[in-house]
Amino acid sequence: MSIAEQASSPVVALNTPAVIPTPTPSKIDPPAGEDMLTVNFGPNHPSTHGVLRLIVTLDGEVIVGLDADIGYVHTGFEKNFEQKTYWKAIPYAPRMDYLGFFANELAYVGAVEQLIGIEVPERAQWIRTLFAELNRLHSHLIYLGTSGIELGAMSVFFYCTRDRDSVLDLFEMVTGVRMHDRYPQFGGVAEDLPKGFYDVCKEFCRQMPKNIDEYLDLLAGNPIWKGRLKGIGKILPEDAIAMGLSGPNLRASGVDYDLRRNDPYLAYDKLDFDVVTGQNGDCYDRFLCRTLEMHQSVRIIEQCLEGMPSGPVIAADRKYVLPPRHELHTSMESLIHHFKIVTEGYRVPAGEVYVTIESPRGENGCYVVSDGGPRPWRVKFRAPSFVALEATATCMRSAYVADMIAIVGSLDTVMGEVDR
Amino acid sequence: MAVTPVTVSKAVRPEDLEQYVMLSTVDKAVAWAQSNSIWPAGFGLACCAIEMMVLPSPRYDIARFGAEVFRSSPRQADLMIVSGRVSHKMAPALRQVYDQMLVPKWVMAMGACSSSGGMFANYAILQGVDKIVPVDVHVPGCPPRPEAVLDGLRLIQKKIRAGIPPAYELEKSKA
Amino acid sequence: MTAEELATAVGQTLPGAVESHTDGVDMPTLAVAPDRLLEVCTLLRDGHGYNFLSAVSAVDHLGYGEEVAGYFGSARGRDINRTGSWGSPETPAQPPKRFAVTYHLAHVAGGAEPPRRVRLQIWLDDGVPAPSVVSIWPTADWHEREQYDLMGIEFTGHPNLRRLLMPADWDGHPLRKDHPIGGEPVQFTDAV
Repeated sequence: MSIAEQASSPVVALNTPAVIPTPTPSKIDPPAGEDMLTVNFGPNHPSTHGVLRLIVTLDGEVIVGLDADIGYVHTGFEKNFEQKTYWKAIPYAPRMDYLGFFANELAYVGAVEQLIGIEVPERAQWIRTLFAELNRLHSHLIYLGTSGIELGAMSVFFYCTRDRDSVLDLFEMVTGVRMHDRYPQFGGVAEDLPKGFYDVCKEFCRQMPKNIDEYLDLLAGNPIWKGRLKGIGKILPEDAIAMGLSGPNLRASGVDYDLRRNDPYLAYDKLDFDVVTGQNGDCYDRFLCRTLEMHQSVRIIEQCLEGMPSGPVIAADRKYVLPPRHELHTSMESLIHHFKIVTEGYRVPAGEVYVTIESPRGENGCYVVSDGGPRPWRVKFRAPSFVALEATATCMRSAYVADMIAIVGSLDTVMGEVDR
Repeated sequence: MAVTPVTVSKAVRPEDLEQYVMLSTVDKAVAWAQSNSIWPAGFGLACCAIEMMVLPSPRYDIARFGAEVFRSSPRQADLMIVSGRVSHKMAPALRQVYDQMLVPKWVMAMGACSSSGGMFANYAILQGVDKIVPVDVHVPGCPPRPEAVLDGLRLIQKKIRAGIPPAYELEKSKA
Repeated sequence: MTAEELATAVGQTLPGAVESHTDGVDMPTLAVAPDRLLEVCTLLRDGHGYNFLSAVSAVDHLGYGEEVAGYFGSARGRDINRTGSWGSPETPAQPPKRFAVTYHLAHVAGGAEPPRRVRLQIWLDDGVPAPSVVSIWPTADWHEREQYDLMGIEFTGHPNLRRLLMPADWDGHPLRKDHPIGGEPVQFTDAV
């Protein structure tokens, strides 16, 4: 629909808000009849954060046309969810946004818990919060490392992977795996924290702020870093909201909106943390937002360690939660419940629910539709990177091709989530 | 300790030769060189790519195996590590990159998705990358630990040093 | 704001646009007539401040509730005091049409204000197109393309409606209930 048609469409003429980008925000059509070069970036490209294909039309060094071709890692998650029972489908969730894997699991598990109406014990909420923040650290560290290495700052990558391994050591200590743990379960978490976790995590919290300050020292004042990122890829706040951006991408444009504070879930309403907001909406502010957010994450983790209540880590409702193994030897009912849950699955009441959480990338939503049966009827994930990639064209109008890498990196997209 | 200098004037007897030089066959020497300098072309697709990405990091240090330089260009790479799920849309691109690699080349299918389709038995995912490229080593895991990938790399090194030809040659001889 | 209040408020400016309303588990849900969707969306965005489109999802209800029989679940799903409800076939209400396109909206503003959320639904038969809300929320661009690709719902007024995730020459719409799961047959494995 051209702009002229749009103006005369039969829409009730109310006050329209500020600048809305032109009708195809994710595509820039190159001007016709000039001498231009069309270059294909990807899908196998060292700097495109996964399998992204950008078809770019260049006039010299300036980008005058852009089209993003995605779907190269489309996995059909949503169809697979419909094939498995609710409990057996949990392992699919973390593999979408594979950097913020805990966030995806939380969204799915939280959504189904609302449909079931099961109450999660407090200790489980605090444990989930702690791991959600650890996961945020993991994701931001990888963002920083890959951003750095794409723009040439190689040592940052090695420092960030060193810290990332410390974070994953904590995950491994509790869940047994580094990534893609099946830790959030309906009704709580799978297992309690082991002995010794408190000390290791405390030591991590003592060391991590020093490392984050190191990154700020290395990069924030660095003239090359500033030159590559300042003023590049600016997004205005109204455009950001109209484009559906969320998370650090939105906060860097100056909109003070964080689901952890605005719409608290888990234990966030009992915790004290700041929401880091930027001013200009350029790549540099997005970098600063994420790095300073890491400090806040460490603060939250420390508070979780100190304030963790004792108690059960999973609900006691045997209709939804597997009974502890020792009970299977003595109680017939537990045996039956175990059998029913594992083979047939429990029925989740018919209805629909949409739960959003603040993943490291922004607003990660899970829309679950249930038909009253043991398998989900429809599970749809709202991926923040999907929306952020749409906004790429908006910030790449008349950018140089060298800035394209910086912009795509600063939006922190994960292609697994984009393509699902 | 006094070291007796070797005087040049004295001719070296054939029996003493082995004290001064190392003898091998050309094949073994070439295999030793190849196995200790495998340059991966990281074909990072999904979650496994993150675990592959940390291989050069200080903890796992793939550099001690000579494989630190992840080449972006397939023309300069020996080993294609297919890390992640391969969708049907991506398969032609993967085959194209594989074809652009120069012989001898090896392929490691890292993780469950590239080995067999993993947990995604559906319309979108290729059920195993060995349907389109010949694979030398499959590394199980979802995702495999970096140590597991290093074990896979060691297996390829052992294969090379044992003189086993790469997978595409074995497939040619089968067909 | 409950669904009742919102529906009344919308009904005052646009009578007849809202077909039904419910208070869902998490947020008010309004079912809107497809031909009045653009008007309702514009009113919600400008008059009520729902400036953020979170997600556009399409749901295929072919065969909804057919496999559900009996109840092994929570108290929310059965009423012990209602005779005959324990273990009897409790099938959910039949949906009015095959496809539902759901829009999740929110109000995003700086500050500590909680986002008000609302869910809009339109019901369509197979082959009936939906109006595109790209002119109201530009972010709907890719969301609608994805639902067209995976569910086969056409969006009239979309500037660039072509496949997004599947290869361009793919036949069929994968997320529809009559599209098979695909993959290879694996021995001794069924879907569960």
